[in-house]
Amino acid sequence: MPKAKIVAIDDEVEFIDMIKSYFEPRGYDITVAIRGTKGIEIVKEKKPDVVLIDLKMPGIDGDEVLSLLKSMDPAPKVIFVTAYDDGGKTKARLLKMGAYAYFDKPVASLRELEETVNKAANT
Amino acid sequence: MITIYRLSMILACVFNFIIGSFVYLKNKNENINRFFGLYCVILTFWVFGCFIESTFNDKFVIVLADKLLYTGCILAAPVYLNFCYLLTKKKDGIHLLKITYLVTALWLSFNYIGPLRKYFIIDVIHKYPFRYVAIPNFMWFVFIGWFNVLVIYSFMILFLYFRNQTGHEKTKAKYMLIAFFVMILAGSFYFLLLLNIVSPPIDPYLLIIYGSIMAYAILRHQLMGIEVIIKKTLVFAGLLASVFAILVLPTLLIQEYIFRGAGAGGRLLGLALSGVIIILSLRRIEIFLMNITDKYLFQKKYDYRELLRTFTSEVLTVVNLDKLVNLTVDKLTDIVKIDSSAVLLLNEEKQQFDIVASRNTKNPKVVLIRPDGIVTFLEQTHGYLLKKELIERRVYIPHSIQEIIDKLNAELIIPMVLHSDVMGILSLGKKKSDEDYTQDDLDILLPLARTLAIAISNARLFSELGRAQAEAAQREKMAVIGTLSAGINHEICNPLGIARGQCEAFLLNVKDGLYNDKSSDELLAKAKDIMAKVIKETDRATAITKKLSSFAKPAKGEAELVNINKEIDDVLGLVGYELKLDKIEFEKQIEKGLPDMFVDKKQLQEVLFNLIRNAGQAIGEKGKITVTARQDGRSVFIEIKDTGSGIPEDKLKELFNPFFTTKEPGKGTGLGLFIVRQVVEKNGGKIYLKETKMGEGTTFTVEFPLTEVRKSRV
Repeated sequence: MPKAKIVAIDDEVEFIDMIKSYFEPRGYDITVAIRGTKGIEIVKEKKPDVVLIDLKMPGIDGDEVLSLLKSMDPAPKVIFVTAYDDGGKTKARLLKMGAYAYFDKPVASLRELEETVNKAANT
Repeated sequence: MITIYRLSMILACVFNFIIGSFVYLKNKNENINRFFGLYCVILTFWVFGCFIESTFNDKFVIVLADKLLYTGCILAAPVYLNFCYLLTKKKDGIHLLKITYLVTALWLSFNYIGPLRKYFIIDVIHKYPFRYVAIPNFMWFVFIGWFNVLVIYSFMILFLYFRNQTGHEKTKAKYMLIAFFVMILAGSFYFLLLLNIVSPPIDPYLLIIYGSIMAYAILRHQLMGIEVIIKKTLVFAGLLASVFAILVLPTLLIQEYIFRGAGAGGRLLGLALSGVIIILSLRRIEIFLMNITDKYLFQKKYDYRELLRTFTSEVLTVVNLDKLVNLTVDKLTDIVKIDSSAVLLLNEEKQQFDIVASRNTKNPKVVLIRPDGIVTFLEQTHGYLLKKELIERRVYIPHSIQEIIDKLNAELIIPMVLHSDVMGILSLGKKKSDEDYTQDDLDILLPLARTLAIAISNARLFSELGRAQAEAAQREKMAVIGTLSAGINHEICNPLGIARGQCEAFLLNVKDGLYNDKSSDELLAKAKDIMAKVIKETDRATAITKKLSSFAKPAKGEAELVNINKEIDDVLGLVGYELKLDKIEFEKQIEKGLPDMFVDKKQLQEVLFNLIRNAGQAIGEKGKITVTARQDGRSVFIEIKDTGSGIPEDKLKELFNPFFTTKEPGKGTGLGLFIVRQVVEKNGGKIYLKETKMGEGTTFTVEFPLTEVRKSRV
């Protein structure tokens, strides 16, 4: 089974770097972007299985991005990884809108994130 | 020469006679007044005798005058001794006094009875050009011995009395002693004439000086219990008259010696010259006398005016409690000229009065508890407590109260009453002049204590208000931190999450054998790389935590040299993320070489934080905040400019009012700008709205003067 194709978008270079240093040695095809708009372009171009994206980034609105990604063909699975906390309201709304998963920063377990990515890629 | 001598004797007579009559008339029923009056009359006999001996030439008159002179001379010592007995309330040795009078009677018979007199005084002859004088026989020498014994005994009584007295009584005794000494000197000048020693004829002047000392002591120190309330004008007139008299002396001299030979015309010329001298000097003398009267005799009233003026303009207006009470004791001590003073205030919690300010009290930590006698007395009567009055009325003072009075060094204790409660106590020590507190003093000090109570209560309310405001400021800050929590979470949790993730990725990669193909050098390099990243991230988290905790702590209120550039960066560390989320650009323009400012660092941070956060909230989304700092003259100007919504014109007036806000409910309590202004002003600065345009933005300017900030303690 080929490893999932991932695009990770986060404005925090260090975070992206950390994600990359985990997924890359494991053979995942991972592309990263630190600007929201650039990230969307990369998604369009690479057509990944999974998109890891931060909810709160300059120039990006979670709801809009989700509907934009959902409208793509093929639509990638969207996993939010974010420090945004409003008591679970946004999380519930996004999951209802069709987000595949929602991870709180700091990520408690990279293994768990990997498993979720794999599951998302294979469904 | 002869004229001046005569004139001085007449003056001495009149002066002493007036003083004697005055004292006698003041209280005819008191023995002490009677004896002093009598003594003055006796002195007058003596001096008047001398006057006649230096004026007339008729032998009969001269001998008569000499008898009058010696009547005074013989009576002076025993009557003065009697006066000393009465003054010092001496009870023992009354029989000695009786013997003295018997001996005095003997001397009087020597003076009057013809056959005896020759053993006393041989004759009265024109021995000196300016006067007749007696030729003494051996009994005279015995008399002088006796006279000296009485004088020394009187002096001893006075001196012992002086030594045993304290306070005001001691002062009185001191004046008595000085006056007595001057008088003895005057007497001895006369006796020396008989012993063929020509002394300068200044004895009448000495008697005038003696009389002046007595008059001064009576006026100023209530000698013999005489309280004289004399109008200033009267004293002034008296002084002017005496100076005038002294002035007349030289003019008389001029007339007598220079113009004598010139006949009536010459005398007229002399008179005219005197007139000119008097007219020319009168105004100056008048001013000089006015100053003297003001300064020495009526100093009390002068002080009261100053006391009232100082308290109404300088003290009672102070709203800082600590400063108010300290100023009170300082000014009271200085102006009323007292040894010590203290202000005690009621501590409601402990139900006791503590000293809050004091000068020269024996024990500056005295505490008066409610059940203490003094407190009960003050609370029940609202009256004052005057130590001298208690002693005079022979009121029994319990040991505990005496102890407190001693510790406070108090002479007068006045309650400070507000709304029928004693809220404080004013303790005043002895006056440095040793005078007692008079009704006049109390008439000023009692209302002053009441007014002071109001001022202290105001100062307390003011400080409570200040405290409430400081608490509100702190609450506001905590609220701000609450709203920042998302940003803070991001700034702290993310670095920690990244550090953790880096480590976890490395460990999992190793565990899963992903690095099996790597050499140990490569692995080491990888590990080093990760560790560097971890350190960087933990540093990031630490920095933000430090900024946050420093921001959250209440300001110390101490100014220090602060770099504005660094403070802006620190504040940006807290709000930067929020601004970024809202797509707000931030620009900083700090003039090169801008001097450090001397302000409270945390308070400056608070100001910047509030203004930048307000600017961000005014923008909402998408915009720009520009912070500039520049020096202009002796001031540093910090401007915070936003491209936000602007402030409506009708809201401009209320901008700095507490609880005024244009923000949505939940976004701000409205204390922001109000507190910002308070903090800025506390640091010696000013804040104002530079400009605002609806839909275009707002600029606030904060100005800190460079000169003042260096010195000020916030």
